[in-house]
Amino acid sequence: MSEKKTAHSVRTAVAASLLTLAVAGSFGAAPAFARTVNIMETGSTLLYPLFNLWVPAYTHSHPEVRINTQGTGSGTGISEAISGVAQIGASDAYMSDPQMKQNPNILNIPLAISAQTVNYNIPGLNNTHLKLNGPVLAGIYDNHIRYWNAPAIQRLNPGVRLPHHRITPIHRTDGSGDTFIFSQYLSFSTPYWNSHVAYGTTISWPAVPGGLGALGNPGMVQSAAQTPYSIAYIGVSFANEVRRAHLGTALLENRAGHFLLPTKTTVEAAAGQLINKTPKDERISLVFAPGAHSYPIINYEYAIVNDHQKNTETANAMRQFLMWTVNPRGGNARSFLRQVRFIALPARISALSRKQIAKIR
Amino acid sequence: MKLRPFRIALVLITSLIPLALLAVLVFLGRYSWPAITFNGWHFLFGHTWNLGNLYADPVMQRGQLAPIGANYGILVFIVGTLLTSAIALLIAIPISLGVAIFLAEGLGSNLKMILSFVVELLAAVPSVVYGLWGYAVLTPLVARVIGPALRSTLGFLPFFSGSIGSGYGLLAASIVLALMVVPIIAATVRDALSQVPSETKEAAYALGATHFEVIRRAMLPTVRGNIIGACILGLGRALGETMAVLMVSGGALNYFPGNIYSPITTMASFIVSQLDSAMQDPTGMAVRSLAEIALILFVISVITNIIARLLTGTSRNVSSV
Repeated sequence: MSEKKTAHSVRTAVAASLLTLAVAGSFGAAPAFARTVNIMETGSTLLYPLFNLWVPAYTHSHPEVRINTQGTGSGTGISEAISGVAQIGASDAYMSDPQMKQNPNILNIPLAISAQTVNYNIPGLNNTHLKLNGPVLAGIYDNHIRYWNAPAIQRLNPGVRLPHHRITPIHRTDGSGDTFIFSQYLSFSTPYWNSHVAYGTTISWPAVPGGLGALGNPGMVQSAAQTPYSIAYIGVSFANEVRRAHLGTALLENRAGHFLLPTKTTVEAAAGQLINKTPKDERISLVFAPGAHSYPIINYEYAIVNDHQKNTETANAMRQFLMWTVNPRGGNARSFLRQVRFIALPARISALSRKQIAKIR
Repeated sequence: MKLRPFRIALVLITSLIPLALLAVLVFLGRYSWPAITFNGWHFLFGHTWNLGNLYADPVMQRGQLAPIGANYGILVFIVGTLLTSAIALLIAIPISLGVAIFLAEGLGSNLKMILSFVVELLAAVPSVVYGLWGYAVLTPLVARVIGPALRSTLGFLPFFSGSIGSGYGLLAASIVLALMVVPIIAATVRDALSQVPSETKEAAYALGATHFEVIRRAMLPTVRGNIIGACILGLGRALGETMAVLMVSGGALNYFPGNIYSPITTMASFIVSQLDSAMQDPTGMAVRSLAEIALILFVISVITNIIARLLTGTSRNVSSV
């Protein structure tokens, strides 16, 4: 009895779905029934808050496009854009030369400029901006500098009463553009780090007893908030979370020897140094830029995109959307970027990005 | 004669399971073969996991194309896996035996049914739920309450003294694993206990044994094989648990735990946390090395199973009495 019933309902379901398919097929061509185009974006947790501001605003005026966003880490963003699982891979890091050789169809398109802060949780000192530099951070992350009142840190911060407590460095466990730019800062400023550890979206962190790994920028904020005397590197779009967690933010030393916080002025100054050096494929590091007012850890935020999409509809929708994101009156408007503390692309870079976006077919 | 097709069908279906197992083994072996030749024995005894410089051109090393400086050693993760599982079982076995005995012998039939159902339900909770709970509730608790309490009572032992850190680490991971393992062991042992033949119990009572003695001398020895089998099941879950451990382990890299509060990483959680980084390696050596970890994990679970089987010796399960 019940078996019969099941068989019957299965038959009905099959018939219904066949009918739906037939209907969909016959109307598919009609413009009145223009299909919604699905675009999947995944990757950088630093870009994620920005995409979440962009997508509702954009799809409001373009209801035929549906864009799903996910914060999974730049590593996933790059690999899913290559494999085609996602159409847009968000990444804080550009792809390496060997990777580009293997995947010549992939474009690295800057959408905005971001910065990174180094944050710490030292009870009593979180309202003080400690001065830190690359060699000191390298020392902390490779277990040469173990206590907050170590001479190297004290020298940078005369007059600050630093506690005699073990430092807990926190790093990202997932493949991350934040790790990429942070380790670039260490590599470019500290020869020892460059020859022993170097940089990448994942690096072989030197062993620091008690050192922690965390998942994504949200995990970094949470681990730092929960662990007194810890230090972490966090994307600037999480500045509000950092403030809410009452973490301290370090002044970082730039190439010219000045200690700076990431502000619109210092980030733009750093970007300005490298505008003319940015190549056509826009893969370049902005970390540790020259110039007295250049904040040392900034980067292009990339959309990693395959220039051959599976169909023209998707390609058209992606071109339109990405063009909008780099437009100063669209996604690059200050009203969006201000909320995540990003900086708009300079006109020349914006033009390079548009040229790359136009290649998506 | 009539049963023939039925028998053939059964044989075919049953052989699917070992065949699937074999297929996994063969696939893992074949896929990770370049990594096995590249890593050699160093893989098992090295304690640095380094993808090498992914931003430079890869070079030929030991007959394989790999990034410069690539160096894969997983001893830290093997230690992390075995330690978390061992501590988890140490916590879980006494608790689950207590639960099982209580459920089988210490309760009226109504309450027994409800509580047994609850225990079985716990076994079916997805591991990520335990992980999230561990992340949000357990790690702060370990940092503020459990850790300090352990240190002040057992601090004279080297492994329990020292810095407690943030709560993420070996202890938190082991507690989460123990919680996941308890319902599995408890439910299995309770089942076995309730199937102990009443003759066995009655004979013990007839000899003048108390209720406690009946359980200890007559029932537990009868189900010894089942208890060990249940522990193997639990161990299997603990060895392979991925998400829940990843969320509370602290993701330590390249160093051994200094004490029970230290951050660690297990093999299974390392595979999942490193997969997308590994995919950035254009030579594919990193992903193949992750597959080699999977192979080793597979071998370790087979070895622990065999050891456990040997430990049970000749003792049999109740069901086969």
